[in-house]
Amino acid sequence: MTPKRAFDEYHQAVYSFAWRLTGRPDVAEDITQECFLVLLRSPERFDPQRGSMKVYLFAVARNLALKQYRDDRAGEPLEDSDGLVAIDPRESLDVASAVGAAVASLPRLQQEALILFEYEGVRLEEIAQIVGAEVGTVKSRLHRARERLRRMLAMYRSVEREHGTV
Amino acid sequence: MEPFEHDELTDRELDRILAEWKSPEAPARLRTALFPEESGSLWSRFWNISFRIPLPVACGLIFLLALFFWRWESRPDHPVAVSNPSELQPVKEIRPRIIRRQDAQN
Repeated sequence: MTPKRAFDEYHQAVYSFAWRLTGRPDVAEDITQECFLVLLRSPERFDPQRGSMKVYLFAVARNLALKQYRDDRAGEPLEDSDGLVAIDPRESLDVASAVGAAVASLPRLQQEALILFEYEGVRLEEIAQIVGAEVGTVKSRLHRARERLRRMLAMYRSVEREHGTV
Repeated sequence: MEPFEHDELTDRELDRILAEWKSPEAPARLRTALFPEESGSLWSRFWNISFRIPLPVACGLIFLLALFFWRWESRPDHPVAVSNPSELQPVKEIRPRIIRRQDAQN
């Protein structure tokens, strides 16, 4: 697959992934550009034996986003923590913003697993390749992420009933 | 209102709420930045066309061009065309010169 074709097929997915992961359009744009520059400059780094082009691009984007995250929030744990961020529906009736805030509040590893699975339609095996973990670990992160979101966004069910915003 | 006083969402409810979070479109300038040759008008692309030829071929072409111009410059002049016959002047003095063959007998 040529870099141009890879761009045509995956640049929107890579951008969306980076945008959801960082919450910043400018950073998402930089990550997407850098991701495809890596492919243009060093196409030999992509090994089809190790995974698909989609997996490779998401892995590069993930590493770039992780670097950005570490630069921004040095010292914050990537792994699970017990803290649960409360989202008050009275502050914002915009469900989309609330979902974004809730996902952003997840521990980093749960966040990326959830975004890849729920929004980019990446299979568990592929996510495991992208993040360099076992499939079981990814499944567990995904389960914990959804459990948190069930509780964090539960109040939006009542908002939905009261205002019909969903 | 306590933040967690509600029941948990079901899988279906959660999926519906998650689907509300839409991503924006990737900026079009990404393509221009990564593939600049795709941008610009046909005219500007025409002016940027280039091709590579081996040095011996280039030297050979230069030599052939130089030879052609040298031959062109050194060719005999063409007769001058006269548009107005009045410009023609009569020959003032005719000096005939007889050239004989050396072995000719007088």
